[in-house]
Amino acid sequence: MIRSVYILGQQSNLVYSKEYAQIESKNSLIEYLVNLTQFLNNIDLEGKIEYMNLAGTRIFYKVVPDYTFIFVADKADDTEQIEEKVDQLVDVFLREFGHLASSGQPLEGFDVKVDEIAVTMVKVAILGFAGVGKTTTLHLLRGETLPLIHDPTIGVSIKKLPEEVENANIVLWDLAGQSRFSILWAKMIANAQVVIIVTDSTLENVLRSKKLVTLVKEEVPDAKVIGIANKQDLPTALTPERVGQILNIPTYELVAIDISYRDRLIQIIRKAILEGKAEAKPPPTT
Amino acid sequence: MPSGAFVVHWDDFQGLLVKKRYPDSLRLNEKSLNLIYYEHQQGGEIGLRNLKVDTLNLASFTHKNYPGWIVCFVLGEGEDYKVNEKLLSGMGRFIVELINVEPDLVDIQEILDDEIILAELEEEQKLATIFITPSAAILLEKMQQEGVEKAAKLSMWLKNQTQTEGLDIREVAAPLLESGVLKVERIGKTTEAVFLVKDVFFYRSPPVEAIKYSLQTMPPIAEEYIEYVTNFFSPPPPNKGYNPTIPDDDPNSPLVEDREKTSALLANSFHYQILNVLRARPMTVAEIADVTNLPNELVQKVLWSLESNKVTVSLKGTEHWALATNPTLESFMPEYVLPIISRKVQQKEITAETATRYLEILIQNWGEKK
Repeated sequence: MIRSVYILGQQSNLVYSKEYAQIESKNSLIEYLVNLTQFLNNIDLEGKIEYMNLAGTRIFYKVVPDYTFIFVADKADDTEQIEEKVDQLVDVFLREFGHLASSGQPLEGFDVKVDEIAVTMVKVAILGFAGVGKTTTLHLLRGETLPLIHDPTIGVSIKKLPEEVENANIVLWDLAGQSRFSILWAKMIANAQVVIIVTDSTLENVLRSKKLVTLVKEEVPDAKVIGIANKQDLPTALTPERVGQILNIPTYELVAIDISYRDRLIQIIRKAILEGKAEAKPPPTT
Repeated sequence: MPSGAFVVHWDDFQGLLVKKRYPDSLRLNEKSLNLIYYEHQQGGEIGLRNLKVDTLNLASFTHKNYPGWIVCFVLGEGEDYKVNEKLLSGMGRFIVELINVEPDLVDIQEILDDEIILAELEEEQKLATIFITPSAAILLEKMQQEGVEKAAKLSMWLKNQTQTEGLDIREVAAPLLESGVLKVERIGKTTEAVFLVKDVFFYRSPPVEAIKYSLQTMPPIAEEYIEYVTNFFSPPPPNKGYNPTIPDDDPNSPLVEDREKTSALLANSFHYQILNVLRARPMTVAEIADVTNLPNELVQKVLWSLESNKVTVSLKGTEHWALATNPTLESFMPEYVLPIISRKVQQKEITAETATRYLEILIQNWGEKK
């Protein structure tokens, strides 16, 4: 994730800053970045974006006339993606806000643009056979009241998680579980970073759901796959451990109609996103 | 006739997005869009199909080159889409092509009112697609050596060449099959044979028709135009002009590169339309836009793109654009395969039945009609 964004002026003065994560010893970091900017003003990077590693973070910087742009991101982030975002920000700033900054005026509207660029989108697909509680899980994640009448999903229902997780907008894809829609599953889980396979914790459904695990591993091998043993309040429910053993994926208990599970589920997704990033290939060193 | 239309695009992160709609009052919900998408995925086929979604009677169009796009035309209740099938497909083709190059220029109302269409690929465009599909181009080279070959053997050969598993020979050879360059037929009970029916030659020819026209009706333009064309094809020595007959067996040959680049222009429908109207005579941007029904901005951009590839030229001191060189793809009978067939029969590489069938196919395609 992008942890913070800084723009420094010619005198190494802070023109703009935005933090997306808590930064330990923030003052020291700013002081370091000011020194870095002074140093960069004396060398020619030929307009290229460079980066350096600092503890668990990676600091990306680009120097253009009058300004130095700095992104602090996670080491595990995709270098190319961050570089692309740096370029986007430089472009937007110079095009639309450079004149305001140079005349010392407030950068009105710039915050929104920075968010658009720095906040990433994470796709979380919720997959499972009909009636296991996928849409209920979606409602739970969104903190919504459950509808009184069951209305089967047609194709897919796409909703955003109200809050950002790890500086990312979470887009939840609740896939229709009816077998006629199974032809869409492969297409719809494309580019998902996390796939949640929901089961109703009955032996029959869990055994059937093994097929879904295979499908996900074939179609999106880089995605983190987690199992949900839903309907744990029912007497016939297999334990989450047993469901996990059968599916051979990390599996967590859930009662999707119980709002108290919401925070726990969000933490599970957060963990999956972080683990997914950590498992990503390390970028080549420069 | 459709009373409205909307364009839907599939996005891996955001799902189905309505990119354009007319009229603005047209209301669409997630379920309807999902059903439309589902029907197309289920059917698998591309082109135009009829869908009844909620209260809407739709003719929805998909294009094989743009799999993520669906254009839906809203028809009247009980209206049969087949009555206007050609028109709807043409408008659908126009919309998806334009939205992929200049989305801001897509005006659904104008397209429906003026019935702006994009025709299906012309013969030379189909031939051009061969050279922009690398596996099809190498398959053609192989067939120039073989004349006729078993499909299974060809499939193995291609797999080795491209180091790709699970290659579907029909898919790879699609541009060759659709343009009639290759033909696949079952011979006997088990053998599927691939035949080379046509060969293709690419060259740039002088734009004779357009020059003649300018000499007759546009004398002030003609002189500069002729000078430009002459300089390209036969400049004064020691410069060497364009020569399409230099050997092209080297993959880095400038001729091969030129064939690839120019084929991409021919295969692109907007480029082709503009190039094609300029074959007759020089025109201004406004005239081209008028004849082709394309937006002025697009015409201008395409002309610049063609100019950078030495296909068009802007005539100084006028607002006219002219064809500088005329990209030509000609198909011809591959006579050179006759001794190859004879050798293959002698060496028992193919059966007499296969050879006979091959000769029949060549006669059907190239023989004089009685």
